[in-house]
Amino acid sequence: MREPRNPLAISFAVWQAIFLREAIDRLFDMRAAWFWLLIEPALHIAFITVVYSAVRMYTVGGIDVALWIIVGMLGFFLFRRTAIQVMYAVDCNRPLFAYRQVKPFDPAIVRAVLEAFLMAIIASAILAAAALLGHDSLPRDPLLVALAVGGLWLFGLGYGLVASVLMELVPETEHILKLLMMPLYLISGVIMPMASVRQPYREFLLMNPIVHGVELVRQGFVPYYHVVPGVDMAYLYAWVIVSLLLGLLLYRRFALQLVMK
Amino acid sequence: MIVVNDIHKRYKTEHGVGRWVLQGVSLNIPRKLNVGLIGANGAGKSTLLRLIGGVDHPSKGWIERRCRVSWPMGEGGLEGTLSGRQNAKFVCRVHGHQADLADRLAFVEDFSELREAFDEPVSTYSTGMRSRLQFALSLAFDFDVYISDEVTAAGDAAFRKKTATAFKEMADRAGLIMVAHDEGTLKEFCQSGIWIHAGKAYWFDAIDDALKAYKEAIPQ
Repeated sequence: MREPRNPLAISFAVWQAIFLREAIDRLFDMRAAWFWLLIEPALHIAFITVVYSAVRMYTVGGIDVALWIIVGMLGFFLFRRTAIQVMYAVDCNRPLFAYRQVKPFDPAIVRAVLEAFLMAIIASAILAAAALLGHDSLPRDPLLVALAVGGLWLFGLGYGLVASVLMELVPETEHILKLLMMPLYLISGVIMPMASVRQPYREFLLMNPIVHGVELVRQGFVPYYHVVPGVDMAYLYAWVIVSLLLGLLLYRRFALQLVMK
Repeated sequence: MIVVNDIHKRYKTEHGVGRWVLQGVSLNIPRKLNVGLIGANGAGKSTLLRLIGGVDHPSKGWIERRCRVSWPMGEGGLEGTLSGRQNAKFVCRVHGHQADLADRLAFVEDFSELREAFDEPVSTYSTGMRSRLQFALSLAFDFDVYISDEVTAAGDAAFRKKTATAFKEMADRAGLIMVAHDEGTLKEFCQSGIWIHAGKAYWFDAIDDALKAYKEAIPQ
């Protein structure tokens, strides 16, 4: 009889296998899927930038409007894409739970990592393109950028974990979560400057942790950017910790329900 | 040895929880023995098999696998969007065979005889092709105990002959827990039997006794 494998070794083997399986699905699912993966956010960002330039807005908070939009959107997309990928991780890998080595948590974490990989490539390409077009798109404070981006990514993971369990337990929540995602784009200060919202409404919008992440990424790129007062890295990470712990707790408690018939 | 300790199982249905399929099943299944599961349709044979394989989980009680147990042979999960080869790679990696991946792949490709279809998405496969792949996959690894749910009925005549030989070989080499409705198959492969009736499981050292008990319980 062969020596049983160490549980950690099994987990790593499973993660590696799921990573490759997911990457193939994301990159070669349809004809040139990898091309659309890159071009979709690029077109989206280009379109909004053109619209803003057309209405003669050159600076927001003292920085180049193109950079303001690019950086904000990349941060927001990182959150949203991670959240949605993690949300459907269990659903999309159902046949694979026939192998008992694969636990419901595995595809969730792997999908988040894969999304971070993809977004890193997409962001580098878009920022490089912006640099070639004459925008100053190098981050001046890379550590702050890394911290804020990491916060957005981890919050996406935490949100996705919580959402996927809720969706499984109460299927109706899917509609509510979809409704939540729609306005999130508008109220997170991605295309509408937070500074233009008057009090006391700005206070309400600042309860959304994504605003904090997006604003801080911008500040990391351009240190003299006028951050909206009240933006706080600790607030973002408080949400990260709470959502991750809650998500992991729910997975620990309901992992069996996710795969049981 | 596989220890099954007082497991209960019921499924969730659209109208709340269903009836108890298994109610207090306790078994010790030795490693080197070939065991047949016998019972009427819906008695819970496949359920017990899936629980032993770790694919599903009991509502109550626990199962301990003190050896390497395969997944239920007919039920190997295949991802429709991936090709047969990609699915095979996935299974190899999950089972820790990254190092000898090429050998295992060669075996699966050769045994399943899927030829070009091996590189096509599994969603385009026919039922027979799927079961060829699933059968080849479960033979590609050395388990101590194989579990099988009516797998011998897969494929066309030529392939069936080949699987029968391979199945026999495997049954001699390792332990086997199988569900089959055909008495001949059970007698051919199994020494012992488990009769599942009314949510309980009864162990018989000889398969003939299990079949007898099963037949006596059928109302005339």
